[in-house]
Amino acid sequence: MKKTRTVLITLLALFWLGLAAWAWVRTPDASSDWERRKLAQMPKITTNSLLSGTFMSDFESYTQDQFPLRNGFRRLKSEFHYFVLRELDNNGIALAGDQAFQLEYPLDQASVSHALKCFQSLYDTYLQDSTVYFALVPDKAYYLAAGNGYPAMDYVDLTAQIADGTPWATHIDLTGLLCADDYYATDTHWRQEKILPVAQAICKAMGAEPSGEFTAEALERPFTGVYYGQAALPLAQETMYYLTSPLLQRASVTHADGSVTKVYDEAKLGSRDLYDFFLSGSEPLLTIENPDADTEKELVLFRDSFGSSLAPLLLQGYRKVTLVDTRYMDPKLLSNYVNFQNADVLFLYSTLVLNSSGALRG
Amino acid sequence: MLFSSIPFLYYFLPIVFILYFLVPRSWRNAVLLLSSLFFYGWGEPKHLALMATSILLFYLFGLAVARSRRKKVWLAVSVISGAALLGVFKYADFFVESVNGLTGLSIPLLHLALPIGISFYLFQCVSYVIDVYRGDVAVQKNLLKFGTYVSMFPQLIAGPIVRYADVAPQLDSRTTSWNDFAEGLSRFLIGLGKKVLLANQFGALIRAFRACESQSVLFYWVYALAFTLHIYFDFSGYSDMAIGLGKILGFSFPENFRYPYCSKTVTEFWRRWHISLGTWFRDYVYIPLGGSRCSKGKWARNVLIVWMLTGLWHGAAWNFVLWGLLFALLLMAEKWLPGLSKWPGWLRHSLTLLLVMLSFVVFNADGPSGVRSDFAGLLGLSGLPGVTAETLYHLRSNLVLFAVGILGATPLPKTLAGKLPEKFRSLAEPLFLLALLLLCTAYLVDGSYNPFLYFRF
Repeated sequence: MKKTRTVLITLLALFWLGLAAWAWVRTPDASSDWERRKLAQMPKITTNSLLSGTFMSDFESYTQDQFPLRNGFRRLKSEFHYFVLRELDNNGIALAGDQAFQLEYPLDQASVSHALKCFQSLYDTYLQDSTVYFALVPDKAYYLAAGNGYPAMDYVDLTAQIADGTPWATHIDLTGLLCADDYYATDTHWRQEKILPVAQAICKAMGAEPSGEFTAEALERPFTGVYYGQAALPLAQETMYYLTSPLLQRASVTHADGSVTKVYDEAKLGSRDLYDFFLSGSEPLLTIENPDADTEKELVLFRDSFGSSLAPLLLQGYRKVTLVDTRYMDPKLLSNYVNFQNADVLFLYSTLVLNSSGALRG
Repeated sequence: MLFSSIPFLYYFLPIVFILYFLVPRSWRNAVLLLSSLFFYGWGEPKHLALMATSILLFYLFGLAVARSRRKKVWLAVSVISGAALLGVFKYADFFVESVNGLTGLSIPLLHLALPIGISFYLFQCVSYVIDVYRGDVAVQKNLLKFGTYVSMFPQLIAGPIVRYADVAPQLDSRTTSWNDFAEGLSRFLIGLGKKVLLANQFGALIRAFRACESQSVLFYWVYALAFTLHIYFDFSGYSDMAIGLGKILGFSFPENFRYPYCSKTVTEFWRRWHISLGTWFRDYVYIPLGGSRCSKGKWARNVLIVWMLTGLWHGAAWNFVLWGLLFALLLMAEKWLPGLSKWPGWLRHSLTLLLVMLSFVVFNADGPSGVRSDFAGLLGLSGLPGVTAETLYHLRSNLVLFAVGILGATPLPKTLAGKLPEKFRSLAEPLFLLALLLLCTAYLVDGSYNPFLYFRF
């Protein structure tokens, strides 16, 4: 029996050696679709990098990123962590039923203060004569965390801070208009086909013509959101729907570089993040023209990515909707591109961005 | 380089093993020395020269002590050199800060980075020269063999502290076998599992505790228990890996842990915890000071000196001194209160565990002020609530981990495995080891919290 054990353990050593050999010879991948990021590449050896130890730490990152069957190993870890050790989250991603969500806590006071400072600066510079609205988009944890025994940020405190910090805006409460199922199970974002009540409530609050009739169309490619790869848990792929109408089919979108696309950008159907299909994804500045407009009203929307799927639903009430993302654009340049005269202004930010607002500029 | 890292497991180790087993036996020490220097240089390229100097210095001291008529002088020079190197690289800033704090002076600090594993390899060097002086071992005339002993990568940076006498015959001639290879690999993978699957997870909980903004009294106790298990699995896991690697390479390293949390007294705890350090201080400090064969007063002095040094060995900070002195007091109390031995076993066991757990709170505190605030938290003197939702979340989330950790710190799993039919065991063990390898790899690929605690000592 001892011999059998020795032979089997020696075979295990050979398996280990084989895995090592595979790691040595495999061609490195440039990026990971699962994790939506570039993967570390073999670092260059220099005297400096050797003496400072940066080569060693970079090499370790390279070996982790380029390890054979990386996705399989990550899934193994996640499943062991989640289903055997019964840890309630993996890499900060938790499950409630089939919904994955990020544990977003505690409330980062410094981050909220930074965001408020940016908003105040925008108001002082451009918006003193405008009618300003503010809608806070609750992240999924708002609906899922506390009820499932997960720690959650203090949303009451966050809402109060935002209201106190932006007294010049009319606040629109969206919390009662949404529920956990209105978000993708594998992603941070809300489902466009579920947010018509949100769009109608915002239009009503701003005195704009409410959204019209839409048809929900499904995209062929299955959608796997950002949590799908981060959690590395066996989550089901989803179907992404988009709401379309004759108006939206005719509407055109002008980008900061002057290029023109449709509201739903088919060029992004092959993108790593299928959510980029809505208004082409991350863009510093966009304008959507309403070809059927019978109003001169314009809307300026300061937004994060949640705005990409909502903005088309607001178009009916405006001649033009301008979307500004100050994470990708210096607000000092806004006067060159945006006319705030006679425009409604809406701030639409998710609690996720406010709690991690380092990229916002004011 | 960490044992629990992809570069070590899938690059360094396979290459070293291939070279080690392919070259003629007479070259194996050279392969081991070069690979050990590479291993050390990978993590600490700047301190490679210090290690090489230490090897050369103590090799020459050994020769001087063996050959010179002024053995005592050379012994003193060697002990002072070891203490001076440790003093400069490990304790200088602690000493200067303490003097500045006491006198109000502003003596500038040296800000020297602590070379990894310096406390381990210098203790090995010094003990070697002392053993040569005492005539316990023959002097090593071959620099390559001495260098191999000091720098041997399996035990270089976190022990166990291998005495020269333990491995001297194996440096000259050692045998390797498939059976030893299998035994060593098994031990290594069990140690790796302890480190990656248990210690690192407790480490993550400890980080969550430190980052938590809604602390509670209960969370302080959860933290204390988590750290007690964390340090055990971290350090004993490393020792298992070192012993396993030694076995594969043909060396027999001493055991460093024997289920310390099963102890019924603090004295017993220290016979089971970090055994190689305890026996080092016993043989090279405590017994030369007179040990216990002296008056009560002198014995108390000896105990205080040894435990203050043990505390200081672990780190250049006052909480480590406090930690050492706490054990000195507990050991004296056990000796002088003989009634304790009549207490029921479960009570003595519980009390010992509680004291050890509280001692680790001192150990892991951020200086004396950290000790005060951690104990205030534990005792409910910080105005914290008894429990918060966040505490309950972390407790629920780690219940299985705690259960596995507590069971894994006892001999129960090994006893149960021993009762399985041998035929079943000979098949199940390799499968269990394969699962450990795959799971540890999975955790490392996913890049979790990983540093070894004992590297800083």
